[in-house]
Amino acid sequence: MVIVFQSKPSFLAGGVVAGPLEKRSVFSQYFDTIYDDERWKMETNEQGHRKMIQEACEILMKKSGVNNLEIDFFLGGDLVNQMTPTNFAARELAISFIGLFSACATSVSSVIVASLLTELGASNLSIAGASSQHNAIERQFRYPVNYGAQKPQTAQWTVTAAGFALIGKHREECPCIEAATIGKVIDYGMDDPFHMGAAMAPAAFQTIQSHLEQRNQQFYNYDLILTGDLGQLGLKLLKGMLVENGVKKEELTLLRDAGAEFYGQDEAFQSGASGAGCSAAVFFSYIIQQLRAGSYKRVLLVATGALLSPLSYQQGETIPCTAHAIEITMK
Amino acid sequence: MEKEQYQQLEQSVTPKPPYFKNAAKAFFVGGIICTIGQAVSLFYIIFFDFTEATAGNPTVSTMVFFAMILTGFGLYKRIGQFGGAGSAVPVTGFGNAVISAAIEHKSEGLVLGVGGNLFKLAGSVVLFGVVSAFFVALIKYILVTLGVVSW
Amino acid sequence: MMLPIVVCMALLSGCTEKEKFIVYGPPQNEEEVEAVLKEEKFVERTTVIQYDDKMLVAVQFKPWDKWKKAKLEKKLQKKFDEKYPNKDVFVSADYKIFYEANKIKKDQLEDNKLTDKISELKKLAQEET
Repeated sequence: MVIVFQSKPSFLAGGVVAGPLEKRSVFSQYFDTIYDDERWKMETNEQGHRKMIQEACEILMKKSGVNNLEIDFFLGGDLVNQMTPTNFAARELAISFIGLFSACATSVSSVIVASLLTELGASNLSIAGASSQHNAIERQFRYPVNYGAQKPQTAQWTVTAAGFALIGKHREECPCIEAATIGKVIDYGMDDPFHMGAAMAPAAFQTIQSHLEQRNQQFYNYDLILTGDLGQLGLKLLKGMLVENGVKKEELTLLRDAGAEFYGQDEAFQSGASGAGCSAAVFFSYIIQQLRAGSYKRVLLVATGALLSPLSYQQGETIPCTAHAIEITMK
Repeated sequence: MEKEQYQQLEQSVTPKPPYFKNAAKAFFVGGIICTIGQAVSLFYIIFFDFTEATAGNPTVSTMVFFAMILTGFGLYKRIGQFGGAGSAVPVTGFGNAVISAAIEHKSEGLVLGVGGNLFKLAGSVVLFGVVSAFFVALIKYILVTLGVVSW
Repeated sequence: MMLPIVVCMALLSGCTEKEKFIVYGPPQNEEEVEAVLKEEKFVERTTVIQYDDKMLVAVQFKPWDKWKKAKLEKKLQKKFDEKYPNKDVFVSADYKIFYEANKIKKDQLEDNKLTDKISELKKLAQEET
């Protein structure tokens, strides 16, 4: 389950774009572009979604001074049916492409695959990441955007953001990927699609535990353990599980959640942010920049994904979840 | 941690929905919507040739029109988040369900998009409304035939 | 948030200040009609218009009695028919009719216009949808 990368592939750059509502995010200052139109001046939300992915990749390439011909692989995914936004963006980018789906954990699973390709020597430069667009995803999983249904306090808000990272061969001055854990699919019998944090927390717990165990590390060996989008309640649950398992309370301050912090304490977003774009946007902007600045030396990023579809929960199935982790270090 | 143990933890962490607060909000929001409806109804009675019996239809369409405007400007979902059932139960909630689906599916074209999905949410309201009306009428008919009640 | 409710209550209470039982028209058996109506507890306000051998009785019921509006309306109609067999009485509990009856009284309509207006109202009250 744990992969240790001998060649330590590096994060060369990150490209993050976000929608207008994400201005309110506490991480907004770290994003590359915040667009004022949630549809990116396209006709439909799905086209806007595609455009957003394209722009994130273009910013990424521009920042690192490369063009699409120099990039070997494009790995990514989103939450729309058959992942058309990412697939269509790949058409525009014209880079060898594999679409990946691990729901909101795609941000990390794509980095793992990119690192493996780099380790193998097959890839010199590759782009990995994930994205989500609020309107397109809400419509897919829940109700029409303008439908006035009351969301419970446990609900989370899908962010409009795309986060992509350029993964390349090891470089001293860049944060590098030491190890990764590909998570199992965990199902603790949660079946409320408006309470995803509760469904995903056990998956995050399992992945963190097995990563620490197999890497022979303790909680305090990390400067930060950041989960993707558990939300405030999911984070509470994860902490509860960790305490039960013998992690000390003071160590828990090392554990944070991107989704829970994303919109600050704004109650309009209930339990916090979610979506593939949430973890991707925070990981590939804030975290990379903090690592480069030297604020953190060793970070464990755990992206969680709820592997449900509207069909599956309407048919009464529970929500299976997964979590993937990468360990990033900086000299 | 075992599943059962986790479910207990989940139960203790998840906040209980504030039922009383929600009910109070729904009461006021629903009440305000119905008061506006009554005002519209009075407007039709006083300024047009509608009686109490016939003012219902134009009132309903006016209220749905209001719901349409609010939905289009993205305000109805805010009312919905605050008022819950108070904004869902009156006819404006029905209008919101129809119109939000229409806006959402406009991108797929007029026939397969708007036409095919217009009653995506409201369809079950129409269906079960008609079915329950049928059964209520049937029960009353039987009671009247038996002489228990009169029309 | 309370504003619409307050405004609405003010509107409703404004009406109760007026006379509750009004009989308009040539002064025939005015008191008798009023007494007939007052007998019934469910009647809150009335406006009666008499002309020739016709009578328009517009009534408003007390709030809880509005549930049984159709039934009570019929009951009143029957009562008037029995009491004045040689008169053409039309009873309505509809607010529209009540409103228009009050307007007729206020505007002091002439007889020929009155007949037209009343038959128009009758037609309106019988409309189903």
